[in-house]
Amino acid sequence: MSSFKLIVNKEKKTISADPDTPLLWVLRDILGLTGTKYACGKGLCGSCTVIVNGKSVRSCTLSVADAAQSEVITIEGLSEKGDHPIQKAWMEADVPQCGYCQPGFIMSAFDLLSKNPNPTEEEVNNVLSGNICRCGTYSRIRKAMQIAVKVGNQ
Amino acid sequence: MKNTLGRRNFIKLTASASGALVVGLHFQSCAPKKEPVENFSFVPLIEIDTEGWVTLIAKNPEIGQGVKTALPMILAEELGADWDKVKVVQGDYNKAYEEQWAGGSYAVILNWDLMRTAGAKVRYALIGAASQKMNVPTSELITRKGSVVHKKTEKSIPFGDLVAAASQIALPEEVEFKPMDTYEIVGKPCPQVDLDNIVNGSVQYTIDLKLPDMVYATVLKNPVHKGKVQSFDDSQTRKISGVIDVIPLDNSNYGGRLIGPNSPNFVNGVAVLANSTWAAFKGTEKLEVVWDNSESKKENTQDIFSHYHNQLNTTSVERQDGNIDQARRRAVSQVEHVYELPFLAHVTMEPMNCIVDFSSEMCEVWAPTQNPEALEQGLIKLFGLQPEQIKIHLPRMGGGFGRRYYVDYAMDAAVLSKKMGRPVKLIWTREEDIKHDWYRPASVQRLSAWLDQDGKVIGWRQVLSNASRVTSLGREGNPAGTEIDEYDFPAGFVPNLQFEYGHVLSDVPLGQWRAVGPTATAFAAHSFLNELAIHNKKDHIDFFLEFLGPPRMVPVVGDFKYDTGRLRAVIEKVRENSNWNSPLPEGQGRGFAAHRQAGSFVAEVVTVEVNADNQLKIVRVDAVVDCGIVVNPSGAEAQVEGAILEGLCAALYGEITIEDGATVQSNFHDYRWMRLGEIPEIHVEFIKNDLPPRGLGEPPLPPAAAALANAIYAASGVRIRRLPIGNQLLDI
Ligand code: FES
Ligand code: FES
Repeated sequence: MSSFKLIVNKEKKTISADPDTPLLWVLRDILGLTGTKYACGKGLCGSCTVIVNGKSVRSCTLSVADAAQSEVITIEGLSEKGDHPIQKAWMEADVPQCGYCQPGFIMSAFDLLSKNPNPTEEEVNNVLSGNICRCGTYSRIRKAMQIAVKVGNQ
Repeated sequence: MKNTLGRRNFIKLTASASGALVVGLHFQSCAPKKEPVENFSFVPLIEIDTEGWVTLIAKNPEIGQGVKTALPMILAEELGADWDKVKVVQGDYNKAYEEQWAGGSYAVILNWDLMRTAGAKVRYALIGAASQKMNVPTSELITRKGSVVHKKTEKSIPFGDLVAAASQIALPEEVEFKPMDTYEIVGKPCPQVDLDNIVNGSVQYTIDLKLPDMVYATVLKNPVHKGKVQSFDDSQTRKISGVIDVIPLDNSNYGGRLIGPNSPNFVNGVAVLANSTWAAFKGTEKLEVVWDNSESKKENTQDIFSHYHNQLNTTSVERQDGNIDQARRRAVSQVEHVYELPFLAHVTMEPMNCIVDFSSEMCEVWAPTQNPEALEQGLIKLFGLQPEQIKIHLPRMGGGFGRRYYVDYAMDAAVLSKKMGRPVKLIWTREEDIKHDWYRPASVQRLSAWLDQDGKVIGWRQVLSNASRVTSLGREGNPAGTEIDEYDFPAGFVPNLQFEYGHVLSDVPLGQWRAVGPTATAFAAHSFLNELAIHNKKDHIDFFLEFLGPPRMVPVVGDFKYDTGRLRAVIEKVRENSNWNSPLPEGQGRGFAAHRQAGSFVAEVVTVEVNADNQLKIVRVDAVVDCGIVVNPSGAEAQVEGAILEGLCAALYGEITIEDGATVQSNFHDYRWMRLGEIPEIHVEFIKNDLPPRGLGEPPLPPAAAALANAIYAASGVRIRRLPIGNQLLDI
């Protein structure tokens, strides 16, 4: 067990964990931030996507040792009241079915739009193709992205 | 329209301590004994508080199919509630709710009358109370947006002011339902009830819950189906910080592989219990286990398929209409083809997991299950519990697709919690989830048709061979029942028709997978019908409409018949929506298939492109659906899109293979799922009518793969008779 410092959703945290513990399980089991989901554990599906130092990462494959001292944003920290324009766009398009993959998609979308507020359809496809939605909400994700881009440009 | 609530249940009103009106099911939990014992329990369904807030209990588990929104919408509609003042709360498992499972597209079908009856009875009480207060006859009153309204004067009293008086009203046996043309909630797109909490990450699935003193667990299972643990060395595991205990799991100490018919027990393996999920996961990686595979058949996919092929010639007749031998003699031509389908996994996004707290006499469970009743039965069987000792909560689930109909993973958790005397959260890794699924059965089908001089199909023979779900799950009855069904299309449409079944025994665990049997039979039938249309040099849709014949009620089995007019209507509409007859660019083609299931009718047209390098792209899907009344158009459209994508995705990539008795695939790298960049444009239209709502989660799935294969043929001339499509086009 070692001790690590992290800034999670703007709050300073000191946690103790084995250095190889993936950030995913630190967030979920230790910090109680369960919006970040486990679905493959191998960096294949994007359900565990969070933002670390401004970049989207798969938290299931990033060890807490490597994440130490970083600034982490999870779905819970995206906005105060769940009203980030991307979240609002997701609601307007009534995207989720089971909902399990959605925080991961929203975080990937957040990463894309913060770097590129006007992505082409191809750029959206490329970035969001790193995530899997088993229920097949993809058409509505596309729609929500269009709404979010439009709102971002106003 | 009148309706009463059947059997053991009836609706009862009471007033709660806070003055709220509580309406629920008064439920006789035991059959009356010789001495009349009052044995009623009361479970709430609706609560209206003095502020006018209406709380509705969602009784069926939510797997992403939208019932948590759709069923309360029906109730709120009949009640005349204001949807903005409705709160929906997930109900726990309770026998009084009846039919509390999720599967077979049945939730809305089974609850349409119950929800309306409950809503109508409460409306009756509220109107009764208002009539006393306003001093006007009840016939002049209606409910609207959370108030009782006097039609003539538009004077109104909000529900909250009526709850005390309403709780005194005696309820009638029979109630009138609201005319459908006055609907304000049902039929309008409604965002799902958990939407805000899903997008802010606060919605809690079972995997997210934490109890005080809870232990985290995972299990390393024998990868070989029907294998056991011979011995194991856990010394390295126990060195990992956080590991609390290592416990072998042997189902032969708990009644064996099956708890009961249709209900599997846990798979043998070794569990690691720890103070975090990660320590448990790591702990299983360090286990050294010697497996005992003496009872395994050590099957391989290739051998399995060759058994299936052989068994096509040793079959039982499952349906026989007319005489196919006579049709064969009269025919001027014959067409025959063989189709192969693989095993498929469910891969729900939230892997199998369960929390059980068995730390006292009570067994409290939080379970992502589509089948709480089987879970209860399993706990009774394994531990000799009384039903009163079991409490089952039903958190929202990250997908189901039929996988969570089986409760094997919950039995794991229960055994471990019992042994530890502490609450246990068991999480399967994705690898275990894929390796120990209850797979959609693989199958081989041979279809033969005999045609007369006009190209009319006068004889049809469909032979399906595989290992059956019935046998795999220890169900009673005919093994053919789950595989080739006497109801399957085209039963009723060909005068000389024979369905046959070749039964093979296998160790591979088999279960229901969204849309079940027709995922195989409809793929073959609708691919084959396309081949027959081509044989006749006819347009597929023209040929199919001729095959159906004029609109009429077609008897299928016994008294069961259906209206081919509804099937024709969705087909004609999809022909129009997809511009079926318009020319396409070079390399593109369209394919069609139609289907009836769970009382609904679906027609689909898939447009694909196969480029010069033989690369396949699905361009567009058009679907037209007649499922009667569409309760929530937003949720309904999502179900149709999801089912179509699932059908297409399975057709493109889905394949579980078996080697030496174990599943080969383990995660999303080798069990591929469609990604955003691959999906076609999808256009869904619903036929508008006032017929009772029918199932929707499954019917759009089976035609998708056939329409895709037919489109590939139209685009490239390559006929796909084996799924998945995989590299078949590239290998040409
Ligand atoms: S859980 Fe991390 S990518 Fe799938
Ligand atoms: S909404 Fe269920 S996995 Fe995406």
